[in-house]
Amino acid sequence: MVHEASLSSQATPASLPPSVVTLPQTAQLEALYTIIRDKNTSRGDFLFYSDRIIRLLVEEGLNHLPVVPKTVETPTGAIYEGVGFEGKICGVSILRAGEAMEAGLREVCRSVRIGKILIQRDEETAQPKLFYSKFPPDIASRYVLLLDPMLATGGSAMKAVEVLMEHGVPEERIVFINLIASPEGLHTFCTRYPALRVITGWIDKGLNEKAYIVPGLGDFGERRYCV
Amino acid sequence: MQTTMSLQNEISAPAQLTSPSGPPTLSRNVTTTDLGRIQLQAMKNTLLKSHGRPPWYGKDGLPTSDAFVVGIAGGSASGKTHVARQIVESLGSLPSVVILSQDSFYCKHSPEQVILAHQNLVDFDHPDAIDMPLFASCLADLKGCRQTNIPIYSFSEHQRLDETKYLYGAAVIITEGILALHDPTLRDLYDLKIFVQCDSDLMLARRIRRDVKERGRTVDGVLDQYLRYVKPSYDNFVLPTSKYADIIVPGSDNAVAIDLISTHIKRQLKGRANQLRSQLAKAGPREALSWKTSPMLPAFEPWLNLVKIPDTPQLQGILTILRDRTTSREDFIFFTDRLSTLLVEKAMEFLPHVVQTVITPVEETYVGKKLEVNLCGISILRSGGPLERGLRRVVNNVPIGSLLIQSEAKTGEPLLLHLQLPICIRERHQAQQTYVFLLDAQIGTAASAFMAIRVLLDHGVPEDHIIFVTFLVAKHGGIVMLRKAFPQVTIVCSAVDNDLSERWLECVDVEGETSTDPSSHTEAKEGRKVWVVEPGMGHIGEFFYIHMNGVGTYHY
Repeated sequence: MVHEASLSSQATPASLPPSVVTLPQTAQLEALYTIIRDKNTSRGDFLFYSDRIIRLLVEEGLNHLPVVPKTVETPTGAIYEGVGFEGKICGVSILRAGEAMEAGLREVCRSVRIGKILIQRDEETAQPKLFYSKFPPDIASRYVLLLDPMLATGGSAMKAVEVLMEHGVPEERIVFINLIASPEGLHTFCTRYPALRVITGWIDKGLNEKAYIVPGLGDFGERRYCV
Repeated sequence: MQTTMSLQNEISAPAQLTSPSGPPTLSRNVTTTDLGRIQLQAMKNTLLKSHGRPPWYGKDGLPTSDAFVVGIAGGSASGKTHVARQIVESLGSLPSVVILSQDSFYCKHSPEQVILAHQNLVDFDHPDAIDMPLFASCLADLKGCRQTNIPIYSFSEHQRLDETKYLYGAAVIITEGILALHDPTLRDLYDLKIFVQCDSDLMLARRIRRDVKERGRTVDGVLDQYLRYVKPSYDNFVLPTSKYADIIVPGSDNAVAIDLISTHIKRQLKGRANQLRSQLAKAGPREALSWKTSPMLPAFEPWLNLVKIPDTPQLQGILTILRDRTTSREDFIFFTDRLSTLLVEKAMEFLPHVVQTVITPVEETYVGKKLEVNLCGISILRSGGPLERGLRRVVNNVPIGSLLIQSEAKTGEPLLLHLQLPICIRERHQAQQTYVFLLDAQIGTAASAFMAIRVLLDHGVPEDHIIFVTFLVAKHGGIVMLRKAFPQVTIVCSAVDNDLSERWLECVDVEGETSTDPSSHTEAKEGRKVWVVEPGMGHIGEFFYIHMNGVGTYHY
């Protein structure tokens, strides 16, 4: 009798920072990643299967938000001791790839507010630079789900957190949701923001000389919107 | 000769019905007749049912008995079809009868044979014209409560068609054909063998009248065919099989004989009925209670072997909303949908994967996994419906079949009213390779889960390929029996509730077991006994499809 879900062949790196949570590394999840990693996957399949992973990530991310005890009466008249969701949330997507995760967030949190942030490399300094941001005015009182599918060097994610904190969002109220992370990027990011919770689907081997995640899946935004 | 029998084949290929093919030169000719007749003919090889199929299995999950099989042989135009239909009629409210015609089983022909057939040079009355092994295997499947796909023979093309006709779920099977008693393998399958004895003159007279009047044929033509094929076959092959018959029935004025036959069949079937739902519901909690105190089973839930999705804060929050009687319908639908996706994602983990190597866009090789199975969903209506969107969201283009199981108002017995299974389940060899997600909102008495699993097993789906996906399971309910009967089925749920309790329900139709449909508003007004899961979520299907409030009042 198999009642153990079949596990993935890939083990999570042992030395994960404590603030990092990965999805359960099942064979099923690995199969989803295999599809979106394959360069021959059609755009339709890429959309469908990346959406599935994003939904799982968002569901996991929400688990790091607080709940409060709540007692309700069921239709049969029984009393049920449950919990209620607590606190206002909003999403913030890092353009452009982060936008791809908005639909997944809205699927799970109807009419959630979504801020946007554009960060690009400053050609002069080679540092990430904020080009644009639009947040809900009361963002300082909300929990923020920060969305970016790929965490390579971690540069733009860290810049985004910096901007959020400038807007009054405390580090511990930010949950970073991410599809694939490089160990280097994850390490840099978590060292800088140890209180910030990171939800990632898969931790890859590393970065290549062009700072692309390997084996990775290429440019997420490009594959999602343009190919 | 054998004329009336062939039309159901034409019904299956409607285009041929309307095309006037000129005077036939077939030995086994087709009688196109008035519309009323055609409708009657269309009933052949079709499952006839009056009210649904009661459980055909015991609480161990195994079928309690085979279907009852009647074989009817006799000369052409002796009145076999009439006898078959009279039997069906006399059985009255008995469910699920199928009349299987020998004519469906003509052999597949080579191109040369097709030409000969069109020249009227093939003896269709000879036993060699019938594919007896196929006939017997189809009948054996039906008798053993399995599905079968019977061939369709086209009389206009003189060939077996590529498509087949799917049949499943008959409690009584009536096989009829001139050579129905000829083959020993077939004879072994019959519970009752009937030979319709008719005077040769009378048969010939009926035949001439029928063919001349309805087909515009000449008396000479009819006689020629009769003498060449029909008569020799009758003398050599048909009549001798009368010695195998249990009963010889006259071909006319046979009301008494038919009455005797149907009385016999009814008596045979009577012992087969059982009261499953009450057994399940009653035995469930009681057995569970005794086991709770038993030192042999230290922990109850592990024994139930349920897969529960992780008890995260979000899950608790979703469940709280779904259980709250003040939740709006909009929220109820949204959160069932969200929960169904989580459940299906969990269920996906129990499917087998193979290694798959791909090249990523950065030209790296990645050794990953690939899901390699045939997968389909089957929802138990109505309450399985709320899980369908989750399945569609997770599995692109998944075929989703359905089973409509409704409990009988008086006895609470589950009845299988309708089934529409994905193509991959209808063919046995495919069903054996298929994984099925069976969807239902909750497992209370487990009566409909039981029936649905039995249907899948009947079709050849391996038990360990069935993954039951449900929101709620009542720990002290029918799940105990379900687990005992089908230990290899994986059950994925989001919550395990403590109790299943018996209630009296007033006004509208609500029931603890989820597979009801409020088609019985009138009798529900008087109130009825129901089983509800506690604390539960109320009637999930009703909330999802109709409304939240005023669904009924529970009395303790």
